[in-house]
Order: sequence, then structure tokens, then C-alpha cells
Amino acid sequence: MRKCYKCGQKATVYLPQHRIAFCKEHYIEWYLKRVEETIKEFRMFGKGDRVLVAVSGGKDSLSLWDALYRLGYDADGFYINLGIGEYSKRSQLACEKFANQRGLVLHVFELEKAVASVPALKELENRPACSFCGQLKRYYTNKFAKERGYKVVATGHNLDDETAVLLSNVLSWQMDYLSRQSPVLSEGEGFVRRVKPLVKFSEKENALYAFLAKIEYVEEECPFAEGASSIEHKKLLSLLEEKSPGTKLRFYMDFLRRMRPMLKAEQVALRPCSLCGEPTTGEVCSVCRLKERVAKASLSSSPSS
Amino acid sequence: MKVRVFYKGSLKELEFEKEKVRVSDLLMAMGLSPEYAFVVRGEDILPEGELIKDGEELRVINAISGG
Repeated sequence: MRKCYKCGQKATVYLPQHRIAFCKEHYIEWYLKRVEETIKEFRMFGKGDRVLVAVSGGKDSLSLWDALYRLGYDADGFYINLGIGEYSKRSQLACEKFANQRGLVLHVFELEKAVASVPALKELENRPACSFCGQLKRYYTNKFAKERGYKVVATGHNLDDETAVLLSNVLSWQMDYLSRQSPVLSEGEGFVRRVKPLVKFSEKENALYAFLAKIEYVEEECPFAEGASSIEHKKLLSLLEEKSPGTKLRFYMDFLRRMRPMLKAEQVALRPCSLCGEPTTGEVCSVCRLKERVAKASLSSSPSS
Repeated sequence: MKVRVFYKGSLKELEFEKEKVRVSDLLMAMGLSPEYAFVVRGEDILPEGELIKDGEELRVINAISGG
């Protein structure tokens, strides 16, 4: 029987990559301390900054919001309802319940009212749903944060997300993407600072925290994420991690320390979109172009008078 | 022996030919790795070597998500 590293009682959780075991109470304590240390290590934000947490109803984003709340940060939630049937309904409900139980502010944004639902967009777009969905979420979260005076947007991206992206970018030597992969994306040119305080936690560590902290999150996977290449990359990396615990953390942290400083980000000239004013490289931003395609499709499908 | 498993919102039954079944066997039977999944009995997270009782109901949590 493993014993808790802190109190010597029966351990609930064993973390092979850290060679450490904890009871429930001391796992929660370890998790919160590590979140705080990560925020400080990467100079993400301070106690006086207004933080907007992008929440999906899943274990990562709700664990992040819970940790920021417990650590005394000024953090409100932002949920985007993607219009994906029962999945979106359950996700929104989980976020609302979470916020109500803790007396926190949750902003809800409906994509269907602003553009169209993800299933409707999938009918129009000839690319994976995760591609345009991610783009829309980044656009509206950034826009909302600016309009409401939030200094920082925090997302629940974890170590598995980051190493899966890193592996994918390395496999195809996407130098520009590699140069921009960071736990902190600085503010400026129409963008609010974006941070990822959970980059040092595996998905399992977040799920363990959510379970032990009694966070009611949505376990079900987004139906549009099935078969996503990121899941395959995560499974490949987990095989390496099983054989050699600590591989993922080393891969990511050594990339940040040793490789990233050697990469130069391509300087891209940004200007305000002529339609919405949000930053873009072209005349009209990708979201406004998408909205134009939606408008065109609804015109061609409406009965002629 | 039989085990009832609550997984991602639905309940399913798994049958094993051997009598001594451990948490690691259950995860393997479900095609999951202890690197990203774990098994829960009531409010307790079970270690990989824990023996499973015949007919009991367990919850399996898979932490991997995509998108």
C-alpha cells in the first residue's frame, strides 16, 4: 500500500512521472500549489487582474476555474454554446451549476445567434469541425474579453493537449506554429493576453482533481471530436509515457527552454478587419468571411417569392 | 465473473473468464491505459493492483479528450 508523501496516511493517487503519492486532501493541496507556481513561473497574471476563463463544461476548464477561485483570483467564466444538441445543453448546464454553487459570474454566448450552430457550419465547411470551431471560439472569447475589460483569457489546455500539438508540429516541421506555441500569448494588436495555467498537468491529473474536488463535469466527448488526430497523437505519447514516466513533461518543458528561444516567429502585419474591426492579416477576417458564406447559403436555400 | 461498469454516461456489463480480476485487467479489457484512465468504487480511486469483486458496479473515467 502506497502512503501519502505528506501525511503518511493511505494514498489515493500515485503520480508515476513525479514518483509521488498523495491522499485526497494533499493531492488537492499539491494541485493548487502547482497551478499557482505555473501562473507565477510564466508571469501569466496577478491577483488584481480580471481573468476570463473559457469554460466548456469539461474537466480541464472547470478544474482550472475551481483552482483559480480557491486561490483567490478574480476569475469569471465564459461559455460558448456551440448548438450541438444535447451535448451543448448538458455542457452549459454543468457550467451554470458550477458557477451557481460557488457564486461565480458566468457569461453565456450563443454561437447560433452570432453565426450559426457547429452542425450547420459543418454542412457548409469542407474542413474538420475542430478547425473552424477553434477559430470561432478564439475570436469571440477575445472580442468579449476586450469589450468587458478583462485583462487575460485563461484556457484549460493541458500537458496532453500541448504535447499532442507539439508532436504534430514537429512531425510536419511547422516552424511558424512551433515558434508561437507557448503557455502565454502576449497581448497587443487587438488581442487580449491568453494563458494556459494547466500546461504542466496531464489530462489524468486534471480528471483526478475534478473527481476529488467533486466537480460535476461533462464526461462525454464532443461528437465532432471523434476521430480527431489529436486523440491518436495523445495515445501514441501515452505509450511512451507508460514506458518512461515523465516523457511528456520533459518533451514540452525542454521544448520551451531549449528549442523555442531559437525559433523566430514570422512577423505578420495585422490590421483591423474592414467589417468587424478585429485583427486580421487580410482585408476581411476569417470569421466575417465565414459569416458571409452562411448568409449566402441561407439566401440560396430560402424559397423564392 | 461479471462486472458492471459505468462509463461515459452509460452502464455496460463485462464478463471475465478468470476469477481474480484486477483494476489493470478491467482497463485492458476496455482498451484503456492506466496512463490516462482510472477506476472508481464509490468515492475511492482504486489502485491498478486492486482486486475486483464479482458482480460489483464500478465507474471508469477516461481522461483523454480530443478537439
